[in-house]
Amino acid sequence: MKRNKTMIIVFLTPALVLFCAIFVYPILRTIVMSLFKVENITSGIAQWQYVGFQNYKSLATTSLFKTSLLNLLRIWAIGGMVVMSLGLLFAVILNSGIRFKNFFRAVIYMPNIISAVALATMWIQFVYNPRFGLLTSTFKLLGMDSLAAINWTDTTHKFWALLFAYCFGMVGYHMLIFSSGIEKIPQELFEASTIDGASKVQQFRLITFPLLRSVLKTNITMWSITSVAFFVWSQLFSMVTADTQTITPMVYMYLQVFGAGNVISERNAGLGAAVGVFLGLCVVIVFVLTNRLIKNEDLEF
Amino acid sequence: MKKNRSGGSHSWKKDLRLLPGYLILTLWVVFTFVLIGWVFAASFATTREIFKGEALSFPSGLHFENYVKAWTSQNVSVFFANSLAYASISSILLILICAPAAYVLSRFKFFLNHPIQSGFVAAMGVPMVMIILPLFGIVTQMQLLKQDVTVRLLMIVLYVGINVPYTTIFLLAFFSNLSSTYEEAAAIDGCPPMRIFWKIMLPLAQPGIVTVSIFNFINIWNEYFMSLIFANNDRVKPVAVGLYSMIDSMKYTGDWAGMFAAVIIVFLPTFIIYLFLSEKIIAGITAGGIKG
Repeated sequence: MKRNKTMIIVFLTPALVLFCAIFVYPILRTIVMSLFKVENITSGIAQWQYVGFQNYKSLATTSLFKTSLLNLLRIWAIGGMVVMSLGLLFAVILNSGIRFKNFFRAVIYMPNIISAVALATMWIQFVYNPRFGLLTSTFKLLGMDSLAAINWTDTTHKFWALLFAYCFGMVGYHMLIFSSGIEKIPQELFEASTIDGASKVQQFRLITFPLLRSVLKTNITMWSITSVAFFVWSQLFSMVTADTQTITPMVYMYLQVFGAGNVISERNAGLGAAVGVFLGLCVVIVFVLTNRLIKNEDLEF
Repeated sequence: MKKNRSGGSHSWKKDLRLLPGYLILTLWVVFTFVLIGWVFAASFATTREIFKGEALSFPSGLHFENYVKAWTSQNVSVFFANSLAYASISSILLILICAPAAYVLSRFKFFLNHPIQSGFVAAMGVPMVMIILPLFGIVTQMQLLKQDVTVRLLMIVLYVGINVPYTTIFLLAFFSNLSSTYEEAAAIDGCPPMRIFWKIMLPLAQPGIVTVSIFNFINIWNEYFMSLIFANNDRVKPVAVGLYSMIDSMKYTGDWAGMFAAVIIVFLPTFIIYLFLSEKIIAGITAGGIKG
């Protein structure tokens, strides 16, 4: 038993030390920091100036931050609905007994393993390019000149172009999660309901969907976690520093703390920390809400 | 025989019924191929041909020099070597650190066991913005961003650190599924517990270790935000951030063909891994996702 004790300590220490250094301590320090005015991010705690909830209040009155929050909300809600619907649709099709299931599945998931910078570049420089892009040349070929003339990455179209491209990359992951949920549903349920005369649509509505609740929960949680970290795509779609069309809270935080000049109203890393705490809270709230709203029925298969 | 044939005709009917499904998936897959295929083709054309819409016809042949140019003059070789070093060293360190931790957590009862596991699971949902500011503050205070060597070491420590929770939880599930009869037999033969782990359990966990290492490698290869903040010069940048600064500078040089070549160089390593190991990766995603 003594031997086991030393083994537990020796085996756990490296992982725990890293965990505390990279997660526990920084999280606590971010929370504390969000209550202080911190002029220079490198300054020690002694030089911080306590301001209470002032940072949060000043965020609530900053219009650029509110814009960024609204963008994030749109990405999360609209993008989420698109990705969940397509992911579920593809998962259902994959499990309906089609041939080449593994091939389709592998290709649809593939964008997830590509570097986001490379994938976004492919979209911006090829699909959306106003001179030789896929959309422009396709519309030209079809004779729809008014559509062909649209610059998809200009201010009016940028947000939707960004969202569409982002969703394309995300569908694969959520499809896999849905698909693994569907695979777990016992085949007998479908067979029995077919004998009873249920149509495919009825089967989906009454069997597949209700049994996918816990998987849906996983998907919403994962989607929220990735949405909150929305950053690279914004940066690639707008090379200018602060673009109201694509800015997200994470971009705002980056500009506030690390960025060059033009958007920063005051030098205060505490504001950045407040953004971080706020986003962390959003994830927790979504997690709690989905767990409340979508009840697990603890079905055993 | 007869039964088989009727089965065949039934499956034809079934295929017909599934036609809408086939159409939707095929459309999506074709689009994916066009997207990547066109960029791949364009990386062998010249910028002028790309602008004239001739990227797919190669009127002046294949221009491999795009790759040579991107690789040498645009620093891609440096970014590539950096990413390769960061991703492979970190993936190996992650196994050395997380496999023992996961093993202990899966095998022994002690009072911190459950809190540690919950902490790791919770950490997987922590957004990067919650931890980046203190990390940056501490690191600059310690003067770690002044020399290339310390930046490189720091990058590896950070990549390892942020992937510790995920890797440990993944391997933990794997060790829990291994039968303890092996350890019991070895213990009866007088083998000390730590030796049992390195000599018997670690090799048995090999499939899980391979899967999680593939994930770690791909994640670290594609990581962007942290590298953007800590890798502050061209000598230490990994590919994702390097590619971004290249695209940024391309606005002035206008070398589209070279940029597409760089995109393909960044894309290829993870793509090749995926080409050979997609089944393993997909199985790992579904196993991990269900837990979360």
